[in-house]
Amino acid sequence: MSKVVGIDLGTTNSLVAYVKDGAPVVIRDKGGDALVPSVVSASEDGTVFVGREAQRRLLTDAARTVYSVKRFMGKGLEDVRDEASLLPFRVGGDAGGVVRIGLGSREFTPPEISAFILRDLKHRAEAFFAEQGEIDNEVDRAVITVPAYFNDAQRTATRDAGRIAGLDVMRIINEPTAASLAYGLDKRHSGLIAVYDLGGGTFDISILRVEDGVFQVLSTGGDTHLGGDDIDLLLMHKVLAEIGWSQSAEKVQEIRRDVIQAKWDLSEHDETQLNGKRFTRAEFETLIRPIVDRTLEPCRQALNDAGLDAARVDEIVLVGGSTRIPLVRKLVGALFGKTPHSELNPDEVVALGAAVQADILATGNREMLLLDVTPLSLGIETMGGVMSKIIMRNSTIPATGSEMFTTAVDNQTAVDIHVLQGERELVADNRSLARFRLRGIPPMPAGLARVQVHFQIDANGILSVTARELRTDIEQTIEVKPSYGLTDDEVERMLLDSFEHAEADFSARLLIDARNEAESVIQATEKTMRSPEFAGIAAHDLAAGEQQRIESALAALKAVLGGDDRDLIHDKMHELNDATKHLAEVAMNRSVQAALSGRHVNEM
Amino acid sequence: MTSPATSFPGSPLQICKDCGGGAPVDAHFCPQCTKILSIGRHGDYFSFLGLPRKLNVEQNDLEQRFRGLSRQFHPDYFFNAPPPERRASLERSSYLNDAYRTLKNPASRLEYLLQLEGVMAGGPGRGTGAPGKEEGASKQVVPPDLLEEVFALNEELDEVRDMRASGTAPDALKARLERAREPIETKRAAHEAQLDELFAKWDALLERGAPDAERRPVLEALRERVLERNYITNLLAGIEREMSENV
Repeated sequence: MSKVVGIDLGTTNSLVAYVKDGAPVVIRDKGGDALVPSVVSASEDGTVFVGREAQRRLLTDAARTVYSVKRFMGKGLEDVRDEASLLPFRVGGDAGGVVRIGLGSREFTPPEISAFILRDLKHRAEAFFAEQGEIDNEVDRAVITVPAYFNDAQRTATRDAGRIAGLDVMRIINEPTAASLAYGLDKRHSGLIAVYDLGGGTFDISILRVEDGVFQVLSTGGDTHLGGDDIDLLLMHKVLAEIGWSQSAEKVQEIRRDVIQAKWDLSEHDETQLNGKRFTRAEFETLIRPIVDRTLEPCRQALNDAGLDAARVDEIVLVGGSTRIPLVRKLVGALFGKTPHSELNPDEVVALGAAVQADILATGNREMLLLDVTPLSLGIETMGGVMSKIIMRNSTIPATGSEMFTTAVDNQTAVDIHVLQGERELVADNRSLARFRLRGIPPMPAGLARVQVHFQIDANGILSVTARELRTDIEQTIEVKPSYGLTDDEVERMLLDSFEHAEADFSARLLIDARNEAESVIQATEKTMRSPEFAGIAAHDLAAGEQQRIESALAALKAVLGGDDRDLIHDKMHELNDATKHLAEVAMNRSVQAALSGRHVNEM
Repeated sequence: MTSPATSFPGSPLQICKDCGGGAPVDAHFCPQCTKILSIGRHGDYFSFLGLPRKLNVEQNDLEQRFRGLSRQFHPDYFFNAPPPERRASLERSSYLNDAYRTLKNPASRLEYLLQLEGVMAGGPGRGTGAPGKEEGASKQVVPPDLLEEVFALNEELDEVRDMRASGTAPDALKARLERAREPIETKRAAHEAQLDELFAKWDALLERGAPDAERRPVLEALRERVLERNYITNLLAGIEREMSENV
């Protein structure tokens, strides 16, 4: 049997997971890394790189490297113009059409860029299954997650990305709902859960009731343009204001890398260095407070929509890397009046849940059931540019709605319909999903035809439309022109194209693996040497010259990392491993002792 | 196709598209071949959930039925089934979700019942269970019980607008609007009490199988209350709008 997997296609990082013996597991590379940075880069010769390698290329070839593509899914050029100016890659496209992103010398739509990432995850999983000795290691079916607050165009774009990557997308599910599944707040538990998901680019809040193994979403809210990226931007502005705004794209990426590191440091420590200066957690919190505050209003709205007081919520689950920030935990805890859960890795929990759902679909396992809702109301344009709602937001999906249309002039045989999504009164303030034309209405006097248009939102939260003229019982033909999406033909063509443009070949892949592994060793070493307790270790436990040996091995590995010699990278990596063996033991012993004596490592 | 003519009281059968056998109109699975039935002829939201047409619904019971039926025919559990069964599961789940949403809320439940009993336009055929357009016209007529309040309120709102135009402080305007809201809120409370009484009356009639002649006047009274409530809601929304002008 071919394999099914769950995929978290994130703004910053993506992951793949599967179910083994009834429990979900994240698939890691040889270096133990589960996260694939959602970065795609093209070299001069057209070779496409994904993940860590592409991320490295941000520092050397920023203009040919694309990141945060999730922010562009299902969008038109006019939606993203402001943001695009801040990014190193080209963002273009026709007015009123789908966005196009320059990758090297070619142009791709956001679903095609996402498909590169999905294909990489597919290969990663296939390599993993092959190594496990599975006879059929092909991964051809997947559940992919999206932010709960994604609209129809964004969901459809995600499904298209899966298809372009050669995956049968079994289901699109919402990230917070997936997280609740992974938390295993299943049959043994019942009650009300709030899932607060602050990722790299998007924010979601979902309120669920869990009863008899049924995970029923009561309401959902969010902001598809709010996340860790916004925090990084604030910090980058701070640094650029200090050093001057006119910098090369590569320098800007270097600053971006440094501010992200500083942000991470401040989740664990009270202060760090940024741009060569002391930067405290208190300063950081003052700076980002407005961003965190923006997440609280959707929380209140979701509680209100569910008809609940914050105090009624039994458990709070935190999802997304940005929930590691202490200020986020503090404010969310204060809003709900209780301490949020944090047992599972907030980066991995969504992929785990997606794997559980993939397993349910593939095996028919009936232990659990997800009942999700549509995040936004669906409607059509009526007279005077006003939206008439047909399916209300927070309706459990699948859901249906219908509307009756008639003709305005004698012998009219077609009617134009404009489908919208959103909560506002006026058409212009809502999202245009599609325009379509009902054809083949039998000629009759004006006002006599009765065309029933039927809207169906399926379990993916994706809309389909059918229509029937009731007097003659004739099914109408519908031509849907998605406002910001791809037609089926386009998706088909992109799938074929993707076969022609081969990715990095096998040996290039091995080289990339070696670099990734080496990079994790470098990171681990640097992290230890940066830690507050390192000075103590160096003074008391390390032999004379030991720190110098580690530093020179580190420098040697860094020097060969960018080269193409895989064996050389391996050799230098082993040398560094040998050099740090003693240090690792000492650091380990210290933290064990600290744990045994009940003291925090930082206090030592 | 769902249409007002969906439930023929005289012919309680639907046909299984798979084996051609007959099944009770409110069955979800074919008694002969056990396959999930596609939504052809079916009952109403109440009978679909196995509930009587009562206006007081026990919330926990409704939730439990909803979860139980979801577990029977959610599309997740028909993922590997042949296309006709997949379609049937999608249709049946959608109908279940629409039924649950409509019956969960007392206001939409009442309007649905009135449509079902033929005393209110809109028709139960509409998948959303939302009130029909035809009703819009009758909303414009002021219910006789509200004439006095509407008169007073309109005068008050006119004055507030004049005061705003002549530059009165927002706080003073707000206080007036708060005062104007009071009699309407009182009316609403009385209205809720009347509704509770009528709900109980309807449920009792249903329980003892009272004839149509006895039910009709209760339905008519309920319909009057719905129109009145829609009107009260509009009045309160009007005050709310005026308040937000203030800031």
